[in-house]
Amino acid sequence: MIKSIVYKEWIKTRWFLLILTILGLLAVGNIFLKVQHYITFNEAHNYWYLVLFQNQQYFKGLKFIPLVIGLVIALVQYIPEITNKRIKLTFHLPINENKALLMMLGYGVAVLLLSFALLLIVFIFLSQHFFGAEIVHSALISVTPWFLAGLAAYFLSALVVMEAIWKYRIAYFLASAAFILFFFEKGMAGAYAPLNWKLAVLTLLISLSMTFSAYRFRKGEM
Amino acid sequence: MNNVIECKNLTHYYGKKLVYENLNFNVREGSILGLLGKNGAGKTTTINILHGFLQPRAGECLIYGENTQHLSPQTKSRIGFLIEGHVQYAFMDIHQIEKFYSGFYPHWNKEPYWELMSKLKVDPNQKISSMSCGQRSQVALGLILAQEPDLLILDDFSMGLDPGYRRLFIDYLRTYAKAENKTIFATSHIVQDMERLIDDVLIMDYNRVLAHSPIDEFMTGFKQFRFKMEPNGVDLEKEDFVVNLETTKNEFELYTYESEKFVKGFLDKNGIRYADFSMVPMGLEDAFIGLTGKY
Repeated sequence: MIKSIVYKEWIKTRWFLLILTILGLLAVGNIFLKVQHYITFNEAHNYWYLVLFQNQQYFKGLKFIPLVIGLVIALVQYIPEITNKRIKLTFHLPINENKALLMMLGYGVAVLLLSFALLLIVFIFLSQHFFGAEIVHSALISVTPWFLAGLAAYFLSALVVMEAIWKYRIAYFLASAAFILFFFEKGMAGAYAPLNWKLAVLTLLISLSMTFSAYRFRKGEM
Repeated sequence: MNNVIECKNLTHYYGKKLVYENLNFNVREGSILGLLGKNGAGKTTTINILHGFLQPRAGECLIYGENTQHLSPQTKSRIGFLIEGHVQYAFMDIHQIEKFYSGFYPHWNKEPYWELMSKLKVDPNQKISSMSCGQRSQVALGLILAQEPDLLILDDFSMGLDPGYRRLFIDYLRTYAKAENKTIFATSHIVQDMERLIDDVLIMDYNRVLAHSPIDEFMTGFKQFRFKMEPNGVDLEKEDFVVNLETTKNEFELYTYESEKFVKGFLDKNGIRYADFSMVPMGLEDAFIGLTGKY
């Protein structure tokens, strides 16, 4: 059964996942092309100075990429389910309804983590090529909320899309947008260090919110 | 014979609007029951309760003895649901969707599915979304048949189908159901389709059940008499035996469960002069309109 659910989700998301991940990798590549360009024309130590003391965030090109990936994957995964109330088909499958939803959600999280992991590996590898460990470390602290925002955007978009009644959908959307802003507060590189674990817990807390919309649907709120 | 579906004392409101109160009906094992009713009579409400997508205000529906609000996966595997509009995963092609569903059903039998698919002139990689409504209906039906369910619940199965596909759908379904002793609960807004398909009929009107019986019993018992008469002060509509009376000038269409002898006897006894009295043969659609009225 899990293979069938994964198969369905894969059919819906595969091209978007592939294209978004490639675009994400290109964006990471672009970040370091710019770094390379600056270092070539202005000397490495000048650039390091800017990064260390002038809050030059060489990685800021990454800021909204996980958010966009999370958002798009949620939309392509859940809009087809709510179109023509197609989610009824899932609820008719000989499997517990919540289990089926959690499998869909689990698939989404798994492919997002895979995509994010790929971006982060390339990002860390290239960062280490140009910078010292301290700079890479503080960059990772700074990009962590952005990747958490990608996951949060995925969970909250699923909640919004799966809600069948527009007035609730709009309310969820506004609340979600306000929530996502927490992940994009401005600050020095590494400033998020004491906050990251709290954001991670918050992301975890909203991870199952979509099942609430689905529960309401099953109880006739459609 | 066992009841596959049992709905007891169903009561439901939308806000303050009563849909029905204390509705009771059963569907016998191996029978095909057609639920008929005008728009707003409660067909979709009943289907949604059977699907488990609506909690009735009171009462319950049981399928194989389980409340439809909490069907176990084992019971769900015995039920084939056809959703209104033949909704399916339109982003898949016919191979993908067969592969997807086959993973859920232990007795999956792909032969009837591919038999139906072979009749469709579709490209193997064509997405279901780009198929015609008729073709999509065959995909949805094929998937249900491959599932080998014991009970089929079909919501407005004729929606969007042209006459050829409707006939194909009905004939295939009835042959299959009778050969395999399947139980079917079906709704359709095209009443004449039901006549070829069903064994039992359940006709609903606002807040109540108008008829629930074997279709043959209903069609022989429910009659239409047409005659001309001069009004003499007797209000036929108020008589208990008159189910419905349609009037055009001095021509009357009287619908009743009573016999011709009874009706003529009543008219004679009350001194009502009538002429051109005849019993009009009815199809299911005529009987449905006769029972529920034109408005």
